[in-house]
Amino acid sequence: MNILIDIISSTVLFAVPLMLVALGGMFTERSGVINIALEGIMIVGALCSCLFMSYLDGIGYGPAHPLFSMLVAILIAAVAGGIFSLLLAFAAVNLKADQVIGGTALNILAPSLAIVITWAVQGQGETTILIPTWARITRATMGLGEGGGFVSDLIYKNLYLTTPIAFLVLILSIILLYKTRFGLRLRSCGEHPQAADSVGINVYKMRYAGVAISGVLAGVGGLAFTMAAGSGFQATVAGYGFLALAVMIFGNWKPVNILGASIFFALFKIIGSYSSALPFLPDFNNVNSSEYIYLMLPYVVTMIVLVLTSKRSAAPKAEGIPYDKGKR
Amino acid sequence: MNRIQELFARRGVKSIFASLLSIVIGLFIGLLLLFGFNAPYAVGGFFKILNTGFSSAYNFSKVLYQAAPLILTGLSVGFAFKTGLFNIGASGQYTMGAFFGLVAAIQFQLPWYVAVLAAMIGGAVWGLFPGLFKALFNVNEVITSIMFNWISLFLVNLLLANMPMMLANYWGAANPDRTASVATANSNALIPTLGLDKLLHSDYMNISIFLAIGVAVICYIILNKTTFGYELKACGYNRNASVYAGINAKRNIVLSMVIAGALAGLGGAISYLNGPVQYVIKKEILMMGFNGIPVALLAAANPIGIIFSGFFISYIQIGGNALQPEFSSEIINIIIAAIIYLSAVSLLIKELITRILRKKKKEELEALDQNGEGVAK
Amino acid sequence: MSEYIIEMIDITKEFPGVKANDDITLQIQKGEVHALLGENGAGKSTLMSVLFGLYQPDQGHIKIDGQPVEIRNPNDANALHIGMVHQHFKLVECFTVLENIILGVEPNDLGFLKKKEAREKVVSLSEKYGLSVDPDAVVSDITVGMQQRVEILKMLYRDNDILIFDEPTAVLTPQEINELMEIMRQFADEGKSILFISHKLNEIMAVADRCTVLRRGKCIGTVNTDDTTVEELSRMMVGRDVSFSVEKSETEIGDTVLSVRNMTASGASKKEAVRDVSFDVRGGEILCIAGIEGNGQSELIYALTGLDKINQGKVELCGQDITRATIRNRSKSGMSHIPEDRHKYGLILDFSLEQNLVLERYWQPEFQSRGFIKDGAVRQYAEGLIEKYDIRSGQGPVTDTRSMSGGNQQKAIVAREIDKNPELLVAVQPTRGLDVGAIEYIHKQLVAQRDAGKAVLLMSLELDEVMDVSDRILVMYEGEIVGEFDPDTTTVDELGLYMVGAKRQQAYQQKEAKA
Repeated sequence: MNILIDIISSTVLFAVPLMLVALGGMFTERSGVINIALEGIMIVGALCSCLFMSYLDGIGYGPAHPLFSMLVAILIAAVAGGIFSLLLAFAAVNLKADQVIGGTALNILAPSLAIVITWAVQGQGETTILIPTWARITRATMGLGEGGGFVSDLIYKNLYLTTPIAFLVLILSIILLYKTRFGLRLRSCGEHPQAADSVGINVYKMRYAGVAISGVLAGVGGLAFTMAAGSGFQATVAGYGFLALAVMIFGNWKPVNILGASIFFALFKIIGSYSSALPFLPDFNNVNSSEYIYLMLPYVVTMIVLVLTSKRSAAPKAEGIPYDKGKR
Repeated sequence: MNRIQELFARRGVKSIFASLLSIVIGLFIGLLLLFGFNAPYAVGGFFKILNTGFSSAYNFSKVLYQAAPLILTGLSVGFAFKTGLFNIGASGQYTMGAFFGLVAAIQFQLPWYVAVLAAMIGGAVWGLFPGLFKALFNVNEVITSIMFNWISLFLVNLLLANMPMMLANYWGAANPDRTASVATANSNALIPTLGLDKLLHSDYMNISIFLAIGVAVICYIILNKTTFGYELKACGYNRNASVYAGINAKRNIVLSMVIAGALAGLGGAISYLNGPVQYVIKKEILMMGFNGIPVALLAAANPIGIIFSGFFISYIQIGGNALQPEFSSEIINIIIAAIIYLSAVSLLIKELITRILRKKKKEELEALDQNGEGVAK
Repeated sequence: MSEYIIEMIDITKEFPGVKANDDITLQIQKGEVHALLGENGAGKSTLMSVLFGLYQPDQGHIKIDGQPVEIRNPNDANALHIGMVHQHFKLVECFTVLENIILGVEPNDLGFLKKKEAREKVVSLSEKYGLSVDPDAVVSDITVGMQQRVEILKMLYRDNDILIFDEPTAVLTPQEINELMEIMRQFADEGKSILFISHKLNEIMAVADRCTVLRRGKCIGTVNTDDTTVEELSRMMVGRDVSFSVEKSETEIGDTVLSVRNMTASGASKKEAVRDVSFDVRGGEILCIAGIEGNGQSELIYALTGLDKINQGKVELCGQDITRATIRNRSKSGMSHIPEDRHKYGLILDFSLEQNLVLERYWQPEFQSRGFIKDGAVRQYAEGLIEKYDIRSGQGPVTDTRSMSGGNQQKAIVAREIDKNPELLVAVQPTRGLDVGAIEYIHKQLVAQRDAGKAVLLMSLELDEVMDVSDRILVMYEGEIVGEFDPDTTTVDELGLYMVGAKRQQAYQQKEAKA
């Protein structure tokens, strides 16, 4: 039973950052901009919020007001990610640069920036920012006593504030994209920006909005990932930003499908760690460092899925092409 | 004024100017960062970046040593660029190349030229996948390459962990976390030095830089003087028109990525088939492949230009290493990131130059008009 | 109260290298149908884009109903009740009809869409003017005619009174063109003002009250259509008398060069675009495939030239079976192709002119040796073609092809394809988007090929071109050949009936069955 709890809660834990970042990527691409920089934005969001949490921990405020502190930390991750993403927006919209190159620049910038800033704050050579224990929500945090049953164990096994927030974001995304004026206009910018322009929509503003939303979501996703990974912030998100792109493509740029894809991919990652405990999974006992087999799995699966689904792609038609009013 | 204007009207000159501008601005941003982090040492640090490369024969040899794989990964990215593809997978191909090369050297005890060939094959195979998937299934090569970067990292780590002869502890060292030193395991596999290491007092120096330059020249010839290069560029610029002309676009996309992969793989070989260097098994992707991107962008994917931009990037990296302990050497990566960001903007800079030139020309014509000298054609 | 609803006064608009509008004054009366006539590149679209707020004029000003206004973007235009139906529809393909109509003016409650209201308004407008549409259909699934109705409804939904149409009839069947003209008259009778851009003189004479003619960015004059003739309008448009027919002499018809039997092809979509088509083209004749855009002509050409697959059937060129041949082999067997879209297929814009001129030949021993290109030979060849075919470019063979004008780009393609001396020249819309001078020139080249005894397969959407240039006409409708005609004995109206499927030739069907 315990294993089931471990697996389910760990899967959810790792699916949350994937989903948040993939939803963010979806918003940018729907507006017509390719966002390769999700990896870098995640790092920046995680950096700022972890530094903040470490500061709160130091002054004793954190342990005293864990939920509120987490909320502020999440907000900081969101704002930091949003601001960093504006660099991409500026390059893509105003400078009409190649969006993949701009994104790559940010991906190289972020970890270096993170290391430099961490050294500056924590002292040279100290690249890890530890996550304080009060970040995790336990029964105690919620004011409940000991006990509870299976369900309670399941919920509190690996609970961070980012998890419920992520599901809230999912619901808001669906509403925003399909039921609002903003969503309709955003989608038109990614499919046919000339049409949007001709009815008076400001394509440039819309694309900025799309990129900023992804910045906000990826920033929070970076924080969620760092907390899930467990050993503190180390200026990397281990390729999760790119995996989130794959989730977005697999999810056909639609929110509900992205939820499914995130769970699917997270599951593969988790199954690797529990392979010895689960009898129906191959054991690789005589293989050294067999963890690498399971680490590879999400990426291999992604490739297979991409090949099989390439025909049905619902990619926004105008993505990646800088919008130029002058061109007819 | 006129001759300068004519000079700037040429495409090549505009590109060089845009690149130089990116470099200058990037370095300036670096200077600002140095001031921001540790002001009293800032100016000194900046000069260290600019001087260290030439300050001693040893340092110079390190510059050359590092420039070689940079040139090759730059060629890898640049070659793919010219044919319309973004090879962000150079890192994975580089890793595969290093792996194949080291296995040939250590596991199979083969001489250096076979190991180098093996490395090119390893890189080529890794470049085959994104090319094949793009040509046959139209899967974006950027995503495929990124996935394969990670797959190669884990695969190589997995394989090395299960090949005891490859690891350093088999050959007498204490640590199993890295491959054996090639010098110890099979000195025949070391890339020849032809006495250059004695000349520059450095065991980093060998003929690899010359190999890299030679390969760059070959790439230039292929792209600009052969029908094969003509076809590759046609596919890159306009896939539809190349199909119309009877060119097999799918075959060319695959070939292009295979060649790009082989180039990056070669880069891996010459990095690791070297005296002092060993492959460390860890969970981080090798940055060398990604550094090929700014090398290619700065040179606008021109193979000869890549020789210079590879040298430049290596130069400032060596300078960056000397920044410690006052500064983190990561600052160089920030400068490089800024340069990439700016070169993505180079198109704008070129357009700006064109517009300024056009304005000047108009003004001249109007001036002539007013002087009653008739309209110049 | 001014007598004019719209006044555009002394409008000047420049783009890099070209003065699109040069001191133009345009005055429209309320409730009239006013045509804007000019050749390609005359400046009509630019002028209307200025009115609609897509561009800002460098000089000049606009008055609506006597009041000076500034129109900085389509929102401003919309506020002044100005609407525009563009030549290339600005519709989002994956949205529904309703979503496209309300985009930008969505009825909403604090940002949440209220589609019910919108739907009611759309349905009532559609019924009032007889513009039938299905609000929930996805745009990519509906016909071109319905797409245009959606564009019109977009304007009506926004209560526009000043309606601009940019080349509206290019994509319509003759029936639909008549319907559109009736709708325009209905709008005008209601007091709305219609501006429409066209270069089709017959239509202008039929539906417009007045016509303003533009030439090379300047306004030539405004006339009442009742007081003028087609000849006078065309003289104003072109600046000289234009011969409406092409000089053609009698030639001897030779052997069959191209033989197509029972061809079926799908092209990009799943359904069959070309159904059981059979025909021959012989040496010394120009055979033209006519029809409304979208009836399978493009797919037929793509299958013929190898850009797409043939599902069933057989194609022979000079006796050789090329049904499954590669494009390179078709070229080697004697086929040349002037493609429909010169930027997409015909040229590599980032190559130099000389590189484009050898696009079909770079692999021949004349131009390469053991894989290495012979630069000198390429240069010489390019210079020869440039001279022979009068291709104008900035710097000769090394010119950036992107910087050349459309007409000269097309000349380069024509030069390249004809110089191969093909047995069969396939020319698709070869004069699309060109000025009258270039059109004359290309027609001359096509006729020269025919006079030399070669076969020419022409595909055109311009009935004038079809009637002038061809020796024989085949009409395609819904993927099938429905009739064969001799231009000397048929009329545009008769062709039109076949083009819309109202008639079919029994005789032709019988002929096919025998072959």
